[in-house]
Amino acid sequence: MSVTEPALLSLTEISDAIAQKKISSREATESCLDRTAKWQPSLNAFMSIEADAALAAADVADAALARGQSKGVLHGVPLAHKDMYYDEGHVVTCGSHIRRDWVATTTSTALQRLKDAGTVRLGSLQMVEFAYGPTGHNAHYGAVHNPWHVDHVTGGSSSGSGSAVAARLTFAALGSDTGGSIRLPAHFCGVTGLKTTVGLISRAGAMPLSQSLDTVGPLARTVEDCALLTGLMAGADPLDPTTSTRAVPDYMAATRASAKGMTVGIPKAFYVEDLDDGTAQALQDTIATLKREGIHVVEVDLPDQRQLSAACQLLVVTEAAAIHKRWMVERPQDYGPQILARLQNGFGISGVTYLEIMRWRGPALAAHLAAITGVDAVLAPVSPAAAPTILETDVGNSLDAEAMIQRVTRFTRPINYLGLPALSIPTGFTASKLPIGMQLIGRPFDEATVLTIGAAFQRATDFHTQCPELA
Amino acid sequence: MTAPTPNQIKTIAELGGLAIADDVAARIAHAVGPAYEGFKTIAGTLPMDIEPATFLVVQNTKAVK
Repeated sequence: MSVTEPALLSLTEISDAIAQKKISSREATESCLDRTAKWQPSLNAFMSIEADAALAAADVADAALARGQSKGVLHGVPLAHKDMYYDEGHVVTCGSHIRRDWVATTTSTALQRLKDAGTVRLGSLQMVEFAYGPTGHNAHYGAVHNPWHVDHVTGGSSSGSGSAVAARLTFAALGSDTGGSIRLPAHFCGVTGLKTTVGLISRAGAMPLSQSLDTVGPLARTVEDCALLTGLMAGADPLDPTTSTRAVPDYMAATRASAKGMTVGIPKAFYVEDLDDGTAQALQDTIATLKREGIHVVEVDLPDQRQLSAACQLLVVTEAAAIHKRWMVERPQDYGPQILARLQNGFGISGVTYLEIMRWRGPALAAHLAAITGVDAVLAPVSPAAAPTILETDVGNSLDAEAMIQRVTRFTRPINYLGLPALSIPTGFTASKLPIGMQLIGRPFDEATVLTIGAAFQRATDFHTQCPELA
Repeated sequence: MTAPTPNQIKTIAELGGLAIADDVAARIAHAVGPAYEGFKTIAGTLPMDIEPATFLVVQNTKAVK
């Protein structure tokens, strides 16, 4: 345990250390703030850094603990989150100019549940404008940089979350995943991210992008950390009637369960096509590791993923356009060019087409579940390649911008359309030391199984423990 | 189902309350065209009794390995 630099500990390690009074909340908070002061000029990961308030809150947490009063399992743990989770009394920009000064009057359910467990607010994290983009560019606040190589993108839209967690500026961070926005930054930045089942975690007070597809989830350093956060946030919420009322499983127990004898399916097509060499090798290496851990690996023949991907794209553009229509009419000049262009795409979809896409979700999910009979989870790359450069993905609203975006997200979108959980885990590095992640895709509301397999993989490997160094 | 032309998109957008220029309509057609193409084998094939909430029914069906 690194007591000299507490920020290097995992979330579960720091929460245990604070609870046992081995490290104070102030020491943990100072450590994160010290690293942030060094890294922020290179990364642009934070939207706001609230050092004084964070230290004051840490002192309150330490004083409470000294009196024997703990708020919960995250008592005194400093965290920062994607700047789209409403936090009463705080500016929540949603990465936009339009909400640059907007102060939330409520707190999102997911965030409140973490606060109730005792967290300390470090500030807020950068994101793609209105969470609508997979690379990490932002026309108003600048691109977020990848801590492994600052000329490369972080992935988006949870760009600040991926960058800050990878650089050990926060122990974990909330992201959101509508088309890949947790898994892509996790993959590009070498951290662990969990896209949860649609309906597992309340979206109340989380900025909407596409109400049918939006999911809340964590980015963290380990599978165990993701399990801890998911367990705290999951469960029914009267403020979001789409949340499931089923009991929340013990996800931490799932990370300690054996994965021996489980079966992982490898898609025969689509997810194994057009991979760059590093990603193809990482996939084979991951398969080999799983086999060594006693996990059976078989091929699976999934339904046509191109149809799912197309359906997802049409669904997102339509719902996003409907959500933004008022501002698109009243203040189009206040959007970044690429975001406005992508929102305009939704006005090219007819009502009948939208409803056909919504109607197909059930049959499509049923076909997927039938195809994976006999397997516990499906393993696939998150994206065909490691992080591209900021320059080569800075396409603005050019004619081919959408094609670039669709290439980056081709392996994530089908999972969003089906509403499935998917855990992105670091599985290797390219020759130039850029991270490569894989996603473990589960059945609806079966996060526990992908957490079990992911934790087994992390017990056998050290990719998730590797930390970028400031150049 | 065929992908909409720029002229059709202009009409759909105006009906939806957003006036767009010709070049914007052309760009939208270019952007969403491949997705229409990807979905065309599904469009028009769904049984009558399927509704959006069918997704929740399937999602909550007990998982069978």
